[in-house]
Amino acid sequence: MTERRRVQLVVNGEARTIDVDVRTLLSDVLRHELGLTGTHVGCEQGVCGACTVIWDDNPARSCLALAPQAEGARIETIESVAAAVAVGGGDTGFAEGAGGLGALHPFQRAMHELHGLQCGFCTAGIVMTVVAAERAGWSRDETLDALGGHVCRCTGYVNIRAAVERAWQELGLTR
Amino acid sequence: MRSMHATGVPRPRYVGQRLPRRNDGRLLRGLGRFVDDIELPGMAHAAIVRSPIAHGIVRSFDPSAVEGAALVLGPSEIDAATHSVPVLWTLGVQLQTSTRVADGRVRYVGQPIGVAVAGSRYTAEDAVDQIVVDFEELPIVADAEAALAPGAALLYPEYGTNVLSAFEAGDSAEHTDTVFAAADRVLRHRMHLGRIAGISMECRGIVAAPDPATGTLTIWSSNQAPHAIRDAVSEVLGLAQHRIRVIAPDVGGAFGLKDHAYDDELMVCLAALRLGRPVKWIEDRSEHMVATTHARDDHVDVEVAYDDDGRLRGLRLDAVRDTGGQFAIFGGGPLFTMTGMVPGPYTWDAVRSTAKVVASNRTPLGAYRGFGQTQAALVRERTVELVARALGTDPVELRLRNMVQPEQLPYTIRTYITYDNGDYPTCLERARVLATQFPPAPDDGRARGLGYCFYVQMAGIGNSTTNQLIGLGIGGHETATVRMEPDGSVRIYTGISPHGQGQETTFLQVCADRLGLDIDRIELIANDTNSTPYSAYGTAASRSMPVGGGALVLAADKIAAKVKAIAAEMLEAAVDDIVLVDGAAAVIGTNVSVPIARVAHRAWQGFSLPAGIEPGLLETAAYDPVSATFSYAAHVCRAAVDRTTGEVEIEHYAVVHDCGTIVNPLVVEGQIHGGIAQGLGAALLEEIAYNADGQPITTTFLDYLAPVSASMPDVTIEHIQIPSPHTPGGMKGMGEGGTNGAMACVVNAVAAALPEIADRIDRTPLSPSRLWELLQSAP
Repeated sequence: MTERRRVQLVVNGEARTIDVDVRTLLSDVLRHELGLTGTHVGCEQGVCGACTVIWDDNPARSCLALAPQAEGARIETIESVAAAVAVGGGDTGFAEGAGGLGALHPFQRAMHELHGLQCGFCTAGIVMTVVAAERAGWSRDETLDALGGHVCRCTGYVNIRAAVERAWQELGLTR
Repeated sequence: MRSMHATGVPRPRYVGQRLPRRNDGRLLRGLGRFVDDIELPGMAHAAIVRSPIAHGIVRSFDPSAVEGAALVLGPSEIDAATHSVPVLWTLGVQLQTSTRVADGRVRYVGQPIGVAVAGSRYTAEDAVDQIVVDFEELPIVADAEAALAPGAALLYPEYGTNVLSAFEAGDSAEHTDTVFAAADRVLRHRMHLGRIAGISMECRGIVAAPDPATGTLTIWSSNQAPHAIRDAVSEVLGLAQHRIRVIAPDVGGAFGLKDHAYDDELMVCLAALRLGRPVKWIEDRSEHMVATTHARDDHVDVEVAYDDDGRLRGLRLDAVRDTGGQFAIFGGGPLFTMTGMVPGPYTWDAVRSTAKVVASNRTPLGAYRGFGQTQAALVRERTVELVARALGTDPVELRLRNMVQPEQLPYTIRTYITYDNGDYPTCLERARVLATQFPPAPDDGRARGLGYCFYVQMAGIGNSTTNQLIGLGIGGHETATVRMEPDGSVRIYTGISPHGQGQETTFLQVCADRLGLDIDRIELIANDTNSTPYSAYGTAASRSMPVGGGALVLAADKIAAKVKAIAAEMLEAAVDDIVLVDGAAAVIGTNVSVPIARVAHRAWQGFSLPAGIEPGLLETAAYDPVSATFSYAAHVCRAAVDRTTGEVEIEHYAVVHDCGTIVNPLVVEGQIHGGIAQGLGAALLEEIAYNADGQPITTTFLDYLAPVSASMPDVTIEHIQIPSPHTPGGMKGMGEGGTNGAMACVVNAVAAALPEIADRIDRTPLSPSRLWELLQSAP
């Protein structure tokens, strides 16, 4: 019924070609075409920030873009932030599981240690914004301001802010 | 290792620790599994047909123009295929005790009237657009006032009224009149607690997967009570419960909203059964704002009788709840709970409420964090501050003067509820001290005020017979099974349904201490009706720890007793001399021990067991609490208000609270933070609004303002721990407390900052425009 389009983009460092309806949202491509379900959709109105990904180094709402708009884009999702943890039998790390705490980004680790997440639905978007802020050299206060682009219904934000502060301390970001 | 008291009794090793949550890793990595993450072979996608009008009758539902849909069901087909949905709480004179999934009438914008199923969500939504529905429009009942007006249109003509239930609570009219007549003064005020939405960040959603080969239906849904969902699906679709499996995968927040099967979810189940293939439906945010239950919308007339010396005498409420188009599962329960808990921590001579729950052409109300206790705190604590103002007394002193004293506990309040234990005055006095430590206010021209709230929270309601007596059709108990495997590792099976509250960690902390095990040796199994014990509530009503945790303690202790009995035989010692500590069963005061893993192996192999001991280590315990637990807290905050714009900032916030034995302070503090944000949101920001046609005008996060980081101050929290005399383990429930305290605390702070309008604050939220208008008309 609607026109289809071939779209080439780089997702988490991997070149991908997809064939989609032109009206398909980028968030739906990531989640349902590429199986990257860590990106969550909270409003499809561009407000809540849950679906935030890094698009050519900038945080962006993946629910506000149609897939063809991402032609040639470099997209990073939550799945790329922490290095993969080996999963195997015996003592090779399976007991911890792929959801373990190894190799987390300092902000992810601080979120864990300081209880910065409860249901975990908004978390991926927040992590992507904070990681982009760190890369862009934003100060702690600028990053705390950037949290304003995210709605979290569980935590009251107190521990998320504390996690930003701890991560900036650990990363030696003095501002 | 230090694990023993001098007496040789193991002391808690995990309970009380600030243990980060064990399930964080996968959520932080994006490896959670929420309902929309589920993909099944052959799965189709549903979209819901919703009413665009507030009140009417469906004259025709015509899907003939639909192209490419696998199935379309309209109201008449749905009505013919479904039984009624029971309302589980019956209060006073109640006309509505069940509802229909689709009865051909529409009573609010967004009401589901049909379902279309197609190959993708996109094409299912196309199909919905192609369905032509013709309505006979009916006069709109815009709100509770309109519903009660003489000659109002009736949402249910068969009832002859829009009052779905009416009840009284507390003292008799005669006794209350006597108390009021004897008091020195009476003060009256009115409060409308604005309609709000719970807005879980994950909207609702369901995957219904029938297996025609076995005649079973598996449901993954974003819910907080899998057994309650199964109850409803079974009842409405006529499938036996053992043929239905309900799983709550990771759930992105619920807050009471997801405690029952909604009509649209039942339509999706019906469609899946008709098609014999899996069907997924994911609610979008615009739907969520109109089709997921709202909260509050309570109008309360308050009269308080008091003496010149500040003694509170009587409290009289007349409350009307605008419950919207139909009852959800718990009917008028939140209003009833408000009337029950409105006495709070004070020693009144009379408390009486009359209440009406009224239908209007708005989205139905349902459960939401606080369940009436937030309203109780707001109504009472605002009233107390108004009395203090009228008397020229310090509001904290007025509260202290009227408070139940520690030695009076257990204390039965005027609504026949008996509080357990605690020290309310010390709690409030500590909060007053913390308020003195707020930094001095900068000289920025803004008005400032301190607000307080003290509440007692009924948490973990029960027992089951009490529920029955108050017309609540579900029991108040919880069940836990503890299974120690042959290698000594343990699985806990609970009917509690975690979705962010951290039971994957806290339940393990409780269990590890009872069994002397390393926490890595324990897992929690929850959220699946096929493996977990029945629970009518799941995770709700602040009852996970006091009731579910209580059951866990009892079940774990049964396992411990059996392990000890077998170990005693192995070690040739007396059972009473065995302690479980550091993964071993040890003879107290000696070096003699055996690893628990060896005991477990022997138990399951059945080798040389003591006489009368059955093989295996599998124990179940139900805990039906003697009574609810009663946590309490004092909240205090400082508001800064810009008189030129009406904008409010809550600058500083402190909480002193007692929830009995704290299993994990990190988790408890997180619950308080999140609760405060929701109470603050209701006080200042959040409001569902309708126009005169019954059209909702707040259907996005741009119109409906949820608190963001800048809305929330940091919070100082001080714990008091007086263990519950009832709960095995001493825990009191607390999950809703932050919300209960924050709404009144914030409203009181704003009122204190703006004394010129403090008497006229009569509705929430206190938005900038509302405050500005009040300030403009201030004398």
